[in-house]
Amino acid sequence: MTGPGDDVVAADGRAQIFEPGYRPYHGIRLGVSHSVWALARHTAERIMGLKRPARYKVLPFAAVAIAYLPAIAFIGIVALVPDSPRRLSGFIPGPGHYYAFITAAIILFAALAAPEALCPDKRSRLLGIYLSSPLNRSTYLLSKAIAVVGVLLLVTVGPPLLLLVGLALQNLGPQGFGAFMGTVAQVFGAGGALSLMFGAVSLAIPSLTDRRAFASAGSLLLMLGSGAITSVIVFGLGGPKDVLALSINRLPFELALRIFTLRGLPTGPQNGFVNSAPLSTGVVVGASVALTLVAAAVTWWRVVGTEVTR
Amino acid sequence: MTGLDVTKVWSTTQALSGATFAIGGGVTGLLGANGAGKTTLLGLILGLHRPDSGTITVFGQDPWLAGAEVRSRLGYAPEHDALPPDVAAHDVVRHLAELHGLPRREATSRASDALWEVGLGEERFRPVGTMSTGQRQRVKLAQAIVHDPELLLLDEPTNGLDPSQREDMLGLIEHVGVDLGMHVIVSSHLLDEVERVSASVVILESGRVVADGSMAELSNIDPELVVELDRLNEVDPAPALASTLQRAGLVAAADGPRRLVVALGAPSVYDAVRNALADGGYSIRKLERRTASLEDVYLASAGTGPPE
Repeated sequence: MTGPGDDVVAADGRAQIFEPGYRPYHGIRLGVSHSVWALARHTAERIMGLKRPARYKVLPFAAVAIAYLPAIAFIGIVALVPDSPRRLSGFIPGPGHYYAFITAAIILFAALAAPEALCPDKRSRLLGIYLSSPLNRSTYLLSKAIAVVGVLLLVTVGPPLLLLVGLALQNLGPQGFGAFMGTVAQVFGAGGALSLMFGAVSLAIPSLTDRRAFASAGSLLLMLGSGAITSVIVFGLGGPKDVLALSINRLPFELALRIFTLRGLPTGPQNGFVNSAPLSTGVVVGASVALTLVAAAVTWWRVVGTEVTR
Repeated sequence: MTGLDVTKVWSTTQALSGATFAIGGGVTGLLGANGAGKTTLLGLILGLHRPDSGTITVFGQDPWLAGAEVRSRLGYAPEHDALPPDVAAHDVVRHLAELHGLPRREATSRASDALWEVGLGEERFRPVGTMSTGQRQRVKLAQAIVHDPELLLLDEPTNGLDPSQREDMLGLIEHVGVDLGMHVIVSSHLLDEVERVSASVVILESGRVVADGSMAELSNIDPELVVELDRLNEVDPAPALASTLQRAGLVAAADGPRRLVVALGAPSVYDAVRNALADGGYSIRKLERRTASLEDVYLASAGTGPPE
């Protein structure tokens, strides 16, 4: 079999396949931004199991499907029920309340995505080869963050956006173009905030280990465990409600509700629980920023300190 | 590439201690025992670490400050197995070509070309984890050359290879350095490997550069004249001739009953030896100039046993 460097001539001598094989490269060389984007794209493909055997696609696609299913169901209900705008208004949730249906999917997806982004590079020691390219530790981490946050947008922006469009087509969404576009902006704002927060937290745990399973378990433990502990403190022991801001599986959704200018989640048994005073917006925003920055700092500190050659 | 008084300490380990060197074009061997500081030096060249003191320049720039620009002109194959096992070789090489700035289309075609060049054309779509050690080493070499770097850094490129695979890999390195025109630095603890492919060498010992230069220059350090004599009237001639030459101020020593080694400090040594041979009536079996092997250079420079 011929390969590069072999010239193949047709029997009558008129045609020739010319394959020069390996040769010096004199074409364009793109800069660091191209490298960042190339790594981010490659990482996103890895997270979703693309260009890998089918078994690597099961969990990420299942998590994404779970996130979209409620939206599809609601749109189907609205489409099938006659006179749905009158009969179903108040029953079908808007995009702002949609996250309550897909909390588990978002948390699970985040716990799976980030370890896939960081752990294999450390475990296979590919990080050393990456850092021998124009990337340095900071741009490497930027690529990974772009990939994780970008992939998370699939489940934080896509489903509520789908619901919004589906409801609007059935005359159940915001009335008027301005209101509709305002809600679209809220969807992107809330989805982006959720992706940033969950991306930061879920990258921090894998930065501490090179084992994907440990990293996923650790992320889930951190997110769910913080919720359980803060709930016990506030609801069980009557502690101050602001402690709930330390619940990682609650805080991002509190921020999303504020972006949609909706009332926050209940914080205690007073006033019949549902009507209990929510966390203040200042506490929610401050805690969200602090959580994201601390998680990002941990990740950056770990990646910067990783030895790749000695 | 130059280094001036480069020092690097890891916790309590002094990896490099005042290393000073100059590396020019061609294939250069970076020779030293395990723990001599070779991999640390490669890390400094790549700009992955900053020296604790001293300066190092690559292409006239500080690799720590101008890391992206320097590394865009470098290719690197690390010592350890650093490739994702579940990805096809072609995808790995293409991805790394893109990281080095090649547009996607060019990266795709050059990945195939690079893998054909290292002899993996037929296997290029196999996952790396299904390949043998030798094939994975070739994939590492392919990803290092795919973007046509000016300088190639190979850290223990024959690590884990059997003799036949080693020979193939060394042939590839020669091909890359000579035919493809890339400058290559081969880091190794194997003397014969460095001697085989390198035109120049930097020898590290306990973090210090104990010798550096072209193989021709280094082998001409302390050249010797070897004289083999026939027995003279049943008497071993070499010790007597050695004494004669020593009285004449030469550095000479008997290496057995009929073999003599004389240090070639100056051209006049030839005349002195000729005269002593003629005056003593010695019968010469062999007279040759001997230059130092790399092992001799290492022994003389490092003062300890050579690497393997």
